[in-house]
Formats: sequence, C-alpha cells, structure tokens
Amino acid sequence: MMDSVPRIEDPALLRGQGRFLDDIQLPDMLHVAFVRSPHAHAVIRGIDKQAALEVPGVHTVLTLADLSEVLTGERLPLGFGKAAGLPADITPFVLCKDEVCFVGEAVAAVLADDRYIAEDGAGLVVVDYDPLPAAVDCRDAMADDAPVARQANTTNLLATFDVGYGDCSDAFHRADHVIAVALKHHRGGAHPIEGRGAVAQPSPIEDRLTLWTSTQMAHEVRALVVKMLGCDEAQLRVVAPDVGGGFGAKFLTYPEEIVVAAAARMLARPVKWVEDRREHFLSAIQNRDQYWNLEIAVDHRARILGVRGEMIHDQGAYTPQGLNLPQNSALSVTGPYVVPSYQLNVSVVETNKVYTIPVRGAGYPEAAFAMERLLDKVARELGLDRAEVRRRNLITADQMPYELHLKARSGSPMLYDSGDFLECQAQALAAADYDSFPTRQDAARADGRYIGIGIANGVKGTGRGPFESAIVRIGRSGQVFVHTAAMPMGQGIATALAQICGESLGIDAAAVRVIAGDTDAISMGLGGFASRQTVTAGSAVHLAAEAVRDQAIDIAAMLLKTTPDTIVLKDGRAWDRDRPEQTLTLGELAEAVAGVPGYSLISHTTTSDAKPGLEATRIFMPESLAYCNGCHVAEVAVDIDTGAVTLLRYVVVNDSGRLINPMIANGQLQGGVVHGIGNALFEKMAFDKNGQPVTTTFAEYLLPTATEVIDCEIINMQSPSTLNPLGVKGIGEAGCVPAAAAIASAVEDALTPFAVRIDEIPITPERLVEHIHTQSSTSR
Amino acid sequence: MAAISFTLNGELRQESSVSPTMTALDFLRENAGLTGTKEGCAEGDCGACTIVMVRNGADRLEAVMACLLVVGQLDGAQVVTVEGLTERGGELESVQQAIVTQDGTQCGFCTPGFVMALYALRHSGETVTDEVIHDALAGNLCRCTGYRSIVDAARTACSVSGKDNINSRDDSNTLPASDAYEAGGQLYFAPKTIDALIARRVEYPDAPLLSGGTDLGLLFSKERQKFPVTIYTQNVDELRRIEEDDTSFTIGAAATYTEALPYIEAEYASFGVLIRRIGSRQIRNVGTIGGNIGNASPIGDTPPCLIALDSVLTLRGPNGAREISLEDFFLDYRKTDLAKDEIIENVRVPKLGNGQIFRTYKISKRYDQDISSVIGAFRLTLENGVVTAARIAFGGMAAVPKRAIGCEAALTGAVWSEDAVRQAAAAIEEDFSPIDDHRASAAYRLRVAANLFVRLYRDLEGADDVEVMAL
Ligand SMILES: Cc1cc2nc3c(=O)[nH]c(=O)nc-3n(C[C@H](O)[C@H](O)[C@H](O)COP(=O)(O)OP(=O)(O)OC[C@H]3O[C@@H](n4cnc5c(N)ncnc54)[C@H](O)[C@@H]3O)c2cc1C
Ligand code: FES
Ligand code: FES
Repeated sequence: MMDSVPRIEDPALLRGQGRFLDDIQLPDMLHVAFVRSPHAHAVIRGIDKQAALEVPGVHTVLTLADLSEVLTGERLPLGFGKAAGLPADITPFVLCKDEVCFVGEAVAAVLADDRYIAEDGAGLVVVDYDPLPAAVDCRDAMADDAPVARQANTTNLLATFDVGYGDCSDAFHRADHVIAVALKHHRGGAHPIEGRGAVAQPSPIEDRLTLWTSTQMAHEVRALVVKMLGCDEAQLRVVAPDVGGGFGAKFLTYPEEIVVAAAARMLARPVKWVEDRREHFLSAIQNRDQYWNLEIAVDHRARILGVRGEMIHDQGAYTPQGLNLPQNSALSVTGPYVVPSYQLNVSVVETNKVYTIPVRGAGYPEAAFAMERLLDKVARELGLDRAEVRRRNLITADQMPYELHLKARSGSPMLYDSGDFLECQAQALAAADYDSFPTRQDAARADGRYIGIGIANGVKGTGRGPFESAIVRIGRSGQVFVHTAAMPMGQGIATALAQICGESLGIDAAAVRVIAGDTDAISMGLGGFASRQTVTAGSAVHLAAEAVRDQAIDIAAMLLKTTPDTIVLKDGRAWDRDRPEQTLTLGELAEAVAGVPGYSLISHTTTSDAKPGLEATRIFMPESLAYCNGCHVAEVAVDIDTGAVTLLRYVVVNDSGRLINPMIANGQLQGGVVHGIGNALFEKMAFDKNGQPVTTTFAEYLLPTATEVIDCEIINMQSPSTLNPLGVKGIGEAGCVPAAAAIASAVEDALTPFAVRIDEIPITPERLVEHIHTQSSTSR
Repeated sequence: MAAISFTLNGELRQESSVSPTMTALDFLRENAGLTGTKEGCAEGDCGACTIVMVRNGADRLEAVMACLLVVGQLDGAQVVTVEGLTERGGELESVQQAIVTQDGTQCGFCTPGFVMALYALRHSGETVTDEVIHDALAGNLCRCTGYRSIVDAARTACSVSGKDNINSRDDSNTLPASDAYEAGGQLYFAPKTIDALIARRVEYPDAPLLSGGTDLGLLFSKERQKFPVTIYTQNVDELRRIEEDDTSFTIGAAATYTEALPYIEAEYASFGVLIRRIGSRQIRNVGTIGGNIGNASPIGDTPPCLIALDSVLTLRGPNGAREISLEDFFLDYRKTDLAKDEIIENVRVPKLGNGQIFRTYKISKRYDQDISSVIGAFRLTLENGVVTAARIAFGGMAAVPKRAIGCEAALTGAVWSEDAVRQAAAAIEEDFSPIDDHRASAAYRLRVAANLFVRLYRDLEGADDVEVMAL
C-alpha cells in the first residue's frame, strides 16, 4: 500500500487541464494592474489619476484613500499574530500611503476591462515622488547616521536577540584552538514558475465573496482578509486552486490579495490580478542577506567546546510575519553536532528592499553553511580530514532522543527524536568513494584538472505544529473524501493523503478524492510550510480514516448480522470473512446510516447504537518538530581559466523517517538539492547602490537548468519518528539544507593549490577567477 | 484584407480580427480558451509556454515559445498545444505517460511546456543521448523536480522516435500564407519576395522588421507595444536560403539557427557548439543570425565569430545591393550602418583556407540559455609553426563586437608557442576597456579574455580538449 503509486494529481496536469489561478475566467471581470514605486525610498506628494481614467476601458483607479471605505485598517495585521516585542507599525500597507519603501511597492491599482488596458492605465498614473536616501546594505544601515528605511523609524535596527546556552567564555578560554569565519549568505528568492495571483468574485445571490488565490495557506489568508474587510468567516470563502509551486513565496497574505478582495466588494464585480515575472522579482518576498561572524572553540582533538558570534539579517522594508527566518537560522546552527556551549547575537535590520520571510529551507541552509564552513576550517587548521572532524562531533545514535539546550519558537524544548547521524555520514562517504578521492584528485591535477569533494551534514525541523485537521467522509455515492487544510503545491500531498486514507479503508489511492485548500471544506488548518504536511495532515487523515474504518466495520457487522472482527474492508467493500458472498459497498454502508425521517437509523436491525453518517474529523497536534537529517557529498570540477564550476557527482543520504511514497520522496530531495545548487552557484538578486534591483528577469537571475544539475544518488534511511503515529518526518526542504555547504566545501577543496576560501554564497566565477589569479601570480 | 489561417490542434482557424502582434500565448489562452499553455515569464526564458509547430512550408515539427511569437507568425502553420496531444479522456501520449511513470511533474505548472519540448524531441529523429536531452530541455525551467525525473522520462519516451502524426492529421501544408493583414488599425505585412519586402521597407521605414522575433518579441510580449505596422521577413524565400560554394557559405538573413547549424558545425565545429548554446531550441527554431546582427547587441554571440571569419554582409535597398564587411557594420552601441530603407539580405562567411583554424569560446554563468559575459573568436593561419595571420574578435568587451587589433598584431609573425600566446593575451588591456555590470566586472572580462588565449593554445595543442564550459 505505502509505496510508489503514481500521483493522483498527474493526469490533469499532464493534459494541460490543471486549474491554476490564471486559468480562471469569469464574466464581467475587471483586471488589475498595479502602479509600483520606481524608487527605493521616496515621499509621495500626490497621485494624479486623470490620464489613466481617460483610457477607454479603464474602469477606475484606486488608492489607499479610495479603499479605506471598505477596509478596517491601512496596513496588514502581523501574520500569525504573534511576535513578542515588535513594534506595531512594521507591516506593509495595503497600498502605499505617503511613503514608498522599496522599488516595486504597490502605490495604486488600475482596474480595467483587460490586463493590457490596465497596464496601459498604470503607465499613465502620475505619482509625484520626492526621493529620499535609501538604506541598501544592512551592515551600513546599522550606522547611527545611516538613512532610515522608513521615516517613522529612528533606527533601522528592528530587533536584536540572543540565542544560546552554556558557558561560552569558559569554553573559549579552555580551547586549544579558536577559529573564526566571516560569511555572507546572499538574498535570493523562491521563484515558483507560477507567480502570484488572485481572483475575487462577489456572489450575486448571497452576501459572500469567494477569493481564489495562489497561496500556501488558504485559512490564514481568510483570517487576514476577514479582518481587513471587517466581515465574518461565512462571508468569505478562500480557495487555492492548483498552485504552481510556493517555496515560501506564497506563505504570506500579500497587500495585492487584500486589494483584489476589497475592490471586488467595493465594485460588486469579479476582479482579477495575475502578476508578471518582473512584479514577482520586485514585490514577492525574498529570502535573506545574512552576514555571519562566527568563531568556534575546539580542543586538541577537534572536539567542539563552543560556538559564538553574531549575525546580521536583512529584513527588508517591512515585517509581515515576525522574525521566524532569523530565529530559525539562529536556532539551527548547532545542527547535528554536540555543541556544549553556544551564543549568537542577532541583529535584524530594515532596509529599502522587499521584505524577507522563509524560503525553502527556512533559515536552516544559512545556519548549516555557517557551521559547515567552520568545521572545514577546523579540519584545515588542525590538519585533519573533514569527515573525521565531523565524526568526532556528531550526535550519536545512543544519545537519541537528544535534547538541545535551546527552546523552539513555541517555547517548547528542542529535541531530536530519532536518527543515526554517524551512520548517515558513513553511508554517504562510502557511496561517494570518499576515501579514494585523493587519488582521483591527484590524477586529475596531473592532467591540469581541478576537482574537489565536499561534505556537509544538516538537520531540518519538520512537521511544525501546533496542529492540522482532517475530515474523512464516505458519501452516499460511495465516494471517499478527504478534506484537509493541507495545501498541495507540488509535493504530491494529495496522493500521500489519499494513500494514507486508502490504507485504512481498503481502497486505492486513486479512488479517494482529496479536497484541499478550500476554507469551505474544513473549518481550520494552517497550510503548507516547514515540510509539515505529511507529518501533520497525514497523521490527522490517518486518525480520521481509522475512525471511519471502525464505523464502517461496525455498521457492516450490524447489517450482515455478524461481529465486527469478521469484517474486512477491501476493494471498496465490506466483506464477511466467513461468508465471502456477503458483501456491502462503502456506498451501501453510507446509505444505511444516512437516516430516513421518522425511522430509527438502521431500521431493519434492532441495534440502535449506530451513529449517522460515515464521517470523522480529527486533529493531530505534534508535540514538537520531527527532525530529519542528511549528509551530502558533492564532487565538482573548477575551470581555473573561467571560474566555471561543474558538478560531477552528488550523493545524498537522507533520513526522513518512514517514507509514504519513496518515489515522491526522492523527487522532493532532488528538487531541494537543485534549489540548493541554485543558491550555491547561480541565483543572485542584485541591487545597485540606490536600492534598484538589477536582476528582474530569468535571463538575469539564473535558475539551474537540466544541463547544470546532476542526478543525485539518493539513499534513504528510515528511522521512524517517535512523534507521530505514522513515524514520518518531512522531506520537502531536506534537500536544500546542506547543499550549498557541500558545494562550497568541494569548490574550496578543488582549489586547494590556490588557497581559495569560499565565504560567500553564491559562489561566482568572478570571485574564483580573482582569487585564483591573485594566488597563481605568486605560486603557479 | 485576408485572414490569418492556421490549424490549431488539427482544426482550421481563420482569424480576421485578432491583432497581428498579439502574442500566440495570449491568443491561445484568451481567444482559443486553451489554457494548458502557461505563462511563466513572457520573455522566452522559462519554457512554460512551449508549443509545437510546423511552420509554413516547413516539414519539421519544432518547439517554440508562444510568448515570443505573434499571431501573424502563425499564418500558414500547423500549431499543436498540449491539449492537442490526447483526446479528452483518451490515453496519454507517450511522453506524458513517461512523465507520470517517472514522477516528472510536481506542481505541474511547467509540465505542459516540458511535454511539448519532449514531444518535439521525440519527433526530431535524433539519437537521444543525455546531451541531446539537455539540449532539448535547456529552455524549460522547473523549480520543483530538480529535472532528474523529467530527464528520465525523456530517456524512456524519446528513445523511440515518434510517428509524425501532425502532418497526417490535416492538410494545412497547403494553406496559403497571406502577404498582408490588417486588424484593429494594425498592419502586418509578410511579403514573399525580396522586392516586395524592399517596397514595404521603403513605404514604412519606421516599421520594425520582424524575423524570428526573439529580440523584438519582448516589445510585443513584455512591453505590449502595438506597432501600427510590422514587416515580417521569414516568408521571403531568398532570405531563408543557405548556399554553399567552394569558398564560402551565404546565409540568408531570415534563415534560423536550426537551419544554419548543420552547415556551420560541419565547417567550424566550435562555432557549431556556440550556436547550440544560443538561447534554447525553442529560440533557435525561430531566431536568426540576421536578427542577431540586426539587433547589434555588444553581447550577441555570432558577430564576434563572423567578424573573426571575415564575413561580409549584403545589404539591399531600393537602389540595389551593397556589400559591407561585418566589422564595419557596427558603428557604436546599437548603431549600425543600415540605412532606413535597407534590409540585411545575407551574410557571406568564408570557409577556412589552408592552415586556418577557428575557435570560439562563450563565457556565461550557465552553459545553456544564458547571455554571454564574454565571447572570444579566433581565426589563425599557421604555417610551419608560425602564425602568419590572426583575426581575433571579442564580444562583451566594448560597445560593439570588435577586433582585438593589438592581440592580432602581437601574434602575427610569431612562432606558435605558449609564450607568444601569453604575450598576445597581454595586449588585451590595450585593445579593450570593458565595463562593469551585474553580469561581470571589467576586471573579470579582461582576465577571462586573456585566459582564453592560453586556453586556445592548450586546445590546439590537444593538451586540453575539454569543452570550454560556461564559466
Ligand atoms: C530566451 C532568449 C535567449 C537568448 N539567448 C541568446 C544567446 O544566447 N545569444 C545571443 O546572441 N542572443 C540570444 N538571444 C537574443 C536573440 O535570440 C538573438 O539575437 C537572435 O539572433 C535574434 O534573431 P531573430 O530572428 O529572433 O530577431 P528579431 O527579434 O526578429 O529581430 C532582431 C533585430 O534585428 C532586426 N532584423 C531582423 N531581420 C533583419 C533584416 N533582414 N534586416 C535588417 N534588420 C533585421 C530587427 O528589426 C530587430 O531589430 C536570446 C533571446 C531570448 C529571448
Ligand atoms: S512564458 Fe516563459 S518562455 Fe514563454
Ligand atoms: S513541477 Fe513545479 S515547476 Fe516544474
């Protein structure tokens, strides 16, 4: 049952019959184009709509003032409502009021008969800007005399916090070696191939609005839009149609979604907005810009005594949902290693760039990069093998469950529930022929080729709570439904949930209809992020399906006049094991408990303890995060004339607990690794010194293509999680956590003769050539 | 005026009111209700809009980007979208089935584009190696799968060449292409002879000359400009022709990269490799060398090669044809010697003479589908171990593609040796003062350009026959 069944999502997608946001066409619909700020920072002196309004087909032009009649506030409430200690005025505006704080911020919305007319109109709205100096580099922005990112600020330092435990100063005092690194992890973004978009349709019959939006979290969008519109939950249905990838970019309620919903309500017409790629580059969330200064204390045997340092995080202009990204980074530095003491001071700095929230990996890849760079340097300075240094410091299997001395965001202690990190690394090294690499490397060098091997470990907290809910229902038609607030957006979650449900009910996954991403289908839920869905929604579906199974068996036993223990569910029927000719379909069972007015529930039996309907709702609340872990080994070649890095081999050993569908799991891993390859080698969101983004197309911001990537050799370990009934852990982000660190390690290894140090992601050919040139003029 | 006629998934469409410069992507999604073809960028960079077509008069089925094509370019063609591969509810086409079996789709947004790229590959008759698969997929981005499963699907489905069921499905090959079309006040001319083309050019000197549209298409797609008049060149037979004689190739300005490739790679292998790295197949199936020259970008890939090969352009206007050396054609940043009433007719590329060798190197961050930061092209004549002549040109190093005169001089007459090559490389700083941009710094450009000389030496000495990678 639990194996690589084909995905139920596929046939429609393959035929081009997926229903993505932009595929929704409604009669009488108006199309939105946004007027966006061309300045990183400016005061708005005035907005002149006249010329735009004169364009035939332009219906109206809306500013924040115009929308205020249907809105309860000017700026978005802080997402998820919780972020202790942050000021109130840090979230984005629905539309800019009197100041623009990044290039691309939406200032006004033009509504027209079609998208082209709307865009023409947007080009004609005249906004009178008074440019202000911009805070661009987050390090400079910390200076006392730096320009402020928002005029309401007196400082750009949004928050500072410390994370840590143990006695670092003692550890560093006792250390035989103290080794330091200064690192930069560059911004970069999520870049799903489908951008954002929303369609709102007021019902002509009821006082109700339907908002289709390409989101990772339909229920949270509903909560925020309800708040902003001042309506109630029954007046708003939010539906996520097929979602063409999220990776974090759709894990937020955006100002544009509020505008679309508000405008539809105001104008009593359907309204649609679909962004183009440039808008995505300008105004969808990005990931970071983190600067790390770290030092590590080790004893003479390279055992870690402590890690300490500081990190500066570029938050961008606003804070839509708290500080979860820098917090995650700070909390995950120690990764799979025993680190007796740890201290990190984090500064979160506002700049005039688009805001940042977690993207695939959610702060963990940055932390893994920092830790793994430190360990490579320890190996180099102590003259030890890189794998050996890790071996001496990994948490061992008999230390599991391993309690970290840190507390998660929720305040609960952080705990690794299961895993064998040493075995994981050992398997990866064996698969990659790590031990024989030096011989291969020497041979290549003799040929004038520079190859290197890199290794990195990582952990990822998955299955974030507090809960997820599910309904399993068998209709009178016999159709089995799963209703979930989990959000399919490529991870095959519908298939996984159908498999889990099918396993309990004795039917094929393909026979289960999964209804997801629709606030009408289930009352609450959190959605898709933090590699959580198989863990949380999967467990909830499992619990609900088991309950429905028990109900179905009881009813079948009553109807077939036998005892429940002789009933089995198989092939969509209930069978009496002793009398195989006696069967009932699931539909017949559902029909039997549907009820007839005036009669007892199951009229032809005497038993009366049957309950109406075949349906159960269950909520699963994980106690804490289920940690998956992995070891990656990368082999690269570097062209010393051009700085080109080519991947030669990539081995992944990953442990995400029990796998529901290994085929999907491997696909998620490969996808995650390639995201990491992109971060390591290609993706660079460049800004000029005035805060103008200069890479706003896929021709300038490069994603990896099929040519650039490599088929990962994947080995799955399956240490069951102890935290959920399925024993599963998340996998969606696992692949990208150690990837950049492994590649950096490999590039550095390849260039050992030139003593090149990789302290920045992405690794650019330009910097490599510069380093190689500097070194080779002296040594080559 | 006539309508634009083409078949769409086997059915004849005759459009008489659609804007001729509406993109094919918008037409499919909005007018034809075929939403399987997706927009991921509208700039030719992502492949989500890939469709397949057999162009007017062609016998080949080719993948193209619907976002960069305009409706006018569909005239006379057979167009197939993802919806056309299967009957509703019928069995999946074999590339679709292979994607299901190999788990080649996750969110599914990129999937129709990949399906069409693979469908074209399956019908191309090529021997399917991993290299060919990568080449066929270089234009398609997927953020979910990491490609492995899609490449696996290609390995299984495309190794069996498909029957070309397109041609048998309809008889649109006989569709006449019209030479003029008007809708909504926009004129679209698609002349069939060179004289008719010149006449239109004289009549409308400000109208854009549209060839493959892989540069111009951005104006229609991204900028949504509605030109009152557009003149299309690819229906002119003379401009599509490629002729070969003992000493040269004459490549018509409207011949596509795909059409020119076999000639070029047979004579100058490394130029062939470079062409395979221009954009993606979808781009090369419509894009032209004439357009690359007409576009006059300092980082266009072919001009440095053509200059190093001493190519000559034929320009034609109302008063007839004139010839100009390609290096004299580029005057300044995006300025050329082309008069307003002229067109580029063809480019004549000399074959390699005795003792002549040609090498070109493209430096870009990605191997495929990436704009170059530096292009270096070298034609050397070696006689008895002495360099008797050198033509060397670079792109990405100045406002125009330009010869490295100092480097050439340093090399000419020298004994072919690593030393001589290094000395020639040192002259690069006198020949060029490139600029910094986000793609590459001036220092990097200079250093890599210099390194290419050493690479050239090792390359020719056989010490290093590794293909020069994207940087
Ligand atoms: C995704 C993508 C990737 C690309 N990758 C590369 C790359 O790797 N390397 C590269 O060099 N380029 C690249 N390009 C740019 C483009 O593909 C090339 O410049 C191509 O050669 C243009 O040819 P075309 O026929 O499409 O030109 P068009 O867009 O039709 O025309 C380009 C220009 O030439 C003029 N022109 C066309 N024909 C004539 C004529 N007969 N006489 C006079 N003027 C004429 C046009 O008026 C226009 O100004 C890429 C473009 C895209 C969209
Ligand atoms: S939409 Fe991206 S290539 Fe056409
Ligand atoms: S499957 Fe999501 S982009 Fe390819």
